Amino acid sequence: MSTVKGRIFLLLIASLGAAQLLAGQSIPRMPDGKPKFSGVWAGPAFLHVVGPDDTDTPRVTSFDRSRMAPFLPGAEAKFFQKPTGDLLHDDPTALCLPDGHPRKALAPYAQQIFQTGDSVVILYEYMHFFRVIPIGKPHPADVELTFMGDAVAKWDGDTLVIDTIGLREWTLSASNGWHSDALHTIERLKHIDPTTVSYEITIDDPKIFTRPWSQTFQMKLHPTWALLEQVCEENNRCQGGNCTPSESQKAK
Amino acid sequence: MLLRTTRRRLFTLASMVLLVPVVALAHHSYTAEFDTTKPIKLSGVLTRVEWANPHIWLYLDVKDDSGKVTNWGFSASPPGMLQRRGITKSSLKLGDVLTITGHRAKDGSNNASGNVVTFPDGRDARIGQDQALNPTEGAPDAGKKR
Repeated sequence: MSTVKGRIFLLLIASLGAAQLLAGQSIPRMPDGKPKFSGVWAGPAFLHVVGPDDTDTPRVTSFDRSRMAPFLPGAEAKFFQKPTGDLLHDDPTALCLPDGHPRKALAPYAQQIFQTGDSVVILYEYMHFFRVIPIGKPHPADVELTFMGDAVAKWDGDTLVIDTIGLREWTLSASNGWHSDALHTIERLKHIDPTTVSYEITIDDPKIFTRPWSQTFQMKLHPTWALLEQVCEENNRCQGGNCTPSESQKAK
Repeated sequence: MLLRTTRRRLFTLASMVLLVPVVALAHHSYTAEFDTTKPIKLSGVLTRVEWANPHIWLYLDVKDDSGKVTNWGFSASPPGMLQRRGITKSSLKLGDVLTITGHRAKDGSNNASGNVVTFPDGRDARIGQDQALNPTEGAPDAGKKR
């Protein structure tokens, strides 16, 4: 009997050990013990099904309407602005203008993170934008409104929390509407395992929504990837629906 | 042999891509540039590849019933997005006879979107930006296995 009890006890100990190993599957850490996010990532706009040769599948990703908070009275029309026929308004990225934060994070392109003890730098492949984010510092008192905004970070346990303000009125994501200049986002990055990160973003736009709302995505580390060049103006041949003939078409 | 391996790999990847219900791309407004009421399917000899941003362009010499050859351009995905899916510039071989489906350019020129390419051996690969018409609203929640 005591042998059976002893075996059960050993099994329990072994199970607990295995569970602990899985739960704490050693995520990469910085010398100061903080989680390390450095590397090239497939962001929220990928399927995260890693194929042969470290491939993945990009896809256009936008925020889910069902996750959004109710609109403030009259704000729905500000959010879903009617097309005017002017690309500068209807589809600024077609003119190679920036998509800005937070749309940038949802673009189907890679992003690279560099991390030090006091800052995080995110390089976005799409249009070569970047964010240099100090850790542990407050926002400046007077923030200029920009496409990427002003971001600061802090640690909440093993979660990196990025707080962004100072965003000019712009498109929220590829197929969503327009956020206001009061948009404030909070991004929370936390390792699920050594190569997968949970990316939760809270959209707090007090001029559009009745309350903040959040959506959670994932990011996948791709060890063999490097950021690629992406120059939007390079061969934008049918901008606005007017195609310029290529050399081969001119010769015909 | 190398070509065969490359083709096999491309086929595998293309199959994977085709199994995915919503694959995507395009940062530009598809409907601003292409007329979705005018689908087009053309076959011809691949004469030129512009492996450049913001979208690659493929050019086919297409012969009509009278024998007249017209060079058609097809706009597909950006290079990086194709590369991340395993489709490289070397996957597209000049001189190959390809069939491409898409939508005609709004300006009526000999240009179109290139959404699906059919290779000489019959394999299909989704290379286009048309998925932007039906973008995925939201991504999987953290913790969900895919």
